Amino acid sequence: MPSLPSAEALSSWLSSRIATYVQRRPEDIRADVPLADYGLDSVYALTLAGDLEDHLGLSLDPTLMWDHPTIAGLTQALLQVLASAA
Amino acid sequence: MNPGTPAVALDARLRELDTGDGPFAPALVAKLDREEAFPDAACQALESFGLGAHYVPTRHGGRLAHYPELVALWRTVARRDLTAAIGHGKTFLGGACTWVGGSPEQAVALGQDVARGARVSWGLTERHHGSDLLAGELSATRTVDGRWRLNGEKWLINNATRGELISVLARTDANGGPRGFSVFLVDKRQLPPSAFRCLPKERTHGIRGADISGIAFTDADVPDTALVGKAGGGIELVLKALQLTRTVAVAMSLGAADQALRLTVDFAKEHQLYERRLVDLPRARRPLGEAATQLLLAEAVSTVASRALHALTPEASLTSALTKAFVPTVINEMISQLADLMGARSFLSDVYAHGLFQKVERDHRIIAIFDGSTLVNRNAVINQFPVLVRAFRQERRDADGLATATTLGAPLPEADLSRLGLVSTAGCSVVQGLPAAVLRLQSLVEQGALPKAVADLAHALKRATDAVHQRMAAQPPSPRDVPPEAFHLAEHYEACFAGAACVHLWLNHVERAPEGSLWRDALWLEACLVRVLSRLTPEAPPGDPGVFDRLADVVVDTAGVFSLLADARTEGAS
Repeated sequence: MPSLPSAEALSSWLSSRIATYVQRRPEDIRADVPLADYGLDSVYALTLAGDLEDHLGLSLDPTLMWDHPTIAGLTQALLQVLASAA
Repeated sequence: MNPGTPAVALDARLRELDTGDGPFAPALVAKLDREEAFPDAACQALESFGLGAHYVPTRHGGRLAHYPELVALWRTVARRDLTAAIGHGKTFLGGACTWVGGSPEQAVALGQDVARGARVSWGLTERHHGSDLLAGELSATRTVDGRWRLNGEKWLINNATRGELISVLARTDANGGPRGFSVFLVDKRQLPPSAFRCLPKERTHGIRGADISGIAFTDADVPDTALVGKAGGGIELVLKALQLTRTVAVAMSLGAADQALRLTVDFAKEHQLYERRLVDLPRARRPLGEAATQLLLAEAVSTVASRALHALTPEASLTSALTKAFVPTVINEMISQLADLMGARSFLSDVYAHGLFQKVERDHRIIAIFDGSTLVNRNAVINQFPVLVRAFRQERRDADGLATATTLGAPLPEADLSRLGLVSTAGCSVVQGLPAAVLRLQSLVEQGALPKAVADLAHALKRATDAVHQRMAAQPPSPRDVPPEAFHLAEHYEACFAGAACVHLWLNHVERAPEGSLWRDALWLEACLVRVLSRLTPEAPPGDPGVFDRLADVVVDTAGVFSLLADARTEGAS
């Protein structure tokens, strides 16, 4: 089991991933703005779950993206999932 | 088909009703279509047979144990009249949200209602929003006494007028969003007449007798028990229910294909040209064989996908979308090919066989549109390209699930609908299992159990599938505007899926291959692979096109339904 990533590391990984999807620079993606505001379609956002599973090595409910629509919220939710899986 | 299955019993019953002045007699079917009249007597006959109970999962008291069985039942009806099949079958679609997300009490109550003949419709689309579910405006708001008040309109809803119940997707958060909608099972019988108004039946190009209408609610109060699943969970619930309905709905295409093929073969046998029967002319044999191959591909895909609902449930977001995009498209093509053979008779409405060919040609168009159009389904696959690329490279697959999905005699576990997911993080085992399956085919060639030419085709499919994944990997993410190239790739991925489904099906039956000329020398597999490769590598399609002539010989000699499954022992399938 790899050690838990920090909130900063997770948050910056998410920013760069989402920046790729919406074709912007990672620094343009703010942690407190709903991802839909960057044009990330809510169904498309589910795709991120696959990336996250690969990155974190654990299985996730894709609707996590819907219940936590900002990077900040998603980071906290993921840390909780990781902590309970550890 | 196996004796003793419900589909065989239904077929026997319908044989008694499709002649003379029976409700499924071609003359009556054609007359009702001309008059744009609903096939009441036919639907009544289906009700008397007890078809409704097959729309209710066994765990809720019904007779729906295996989804392939539902496919077989609908196909049996659809090959006689698509209007009746769609008019009656809608109730399964209307109930799907409750089967997936309802409480046991809700599901059992609805099941009893459906088994008693209640019709359920499914209100998703609205006049100005088409298939964009997140744009829906019909609203449900909490009342002070804990009920929900519905306001707004659903339009182009099959059976909105005739149905006693309707599952409605309603906006429960004014801001919308993926958690802003909920599903309500609305019982029209419990509403005062002032609370709703059914909209007029729309006139349609095909299935002219169907009740394609709508419903408008005005301050319609429903109890809290009408809420299906969680408040805010409506989009998720609908997207999961659609995985069931899209998979089984292609039964309508199979039935339409059966009917079109039967009409064409019968015509080609009696029609004389240059003092020979049309069916004996080489220029008729080739397209007949090609058309029949499309049906075999459609059958293989729908068989594997409906079994996958049980065996590869978490992958259903993909298998359902691939199936719903692929099957109606190839059957549309098949019907056009057959129309060329029928000539003028495909176009005349009362000269040959009561004009049923032009009816099925018109009727079938709706299958590629309703319940998620081909484009919508391709988009769902495109969204999952990144995981498909990764999983294919790793040859990741659920080997047991794949074996069960592609072995017709394997017992099917109950479909655990709680395992449906909005995306398949495991990718698609059918395609990801192709490289290993091709290796198995190779060893069969060495044992003399498979002609080398067929194994070569499977190798070509493997190479083409590699190439498709390379192109998928190179696709930029497309969260907003999806480029045409991505849709083209999705279409190619469907062809890979179809080819892989055929390879797995054949492999898992080679040990005790069914008797019959379709299975001899892997004839059907060869035809399907040649067809799929002509789509994937049109610049230099490998294989012998003469395989279609050999297949046509079997088609012409087949007395009943032309089917891959006819000789195979299956669990829960036709």
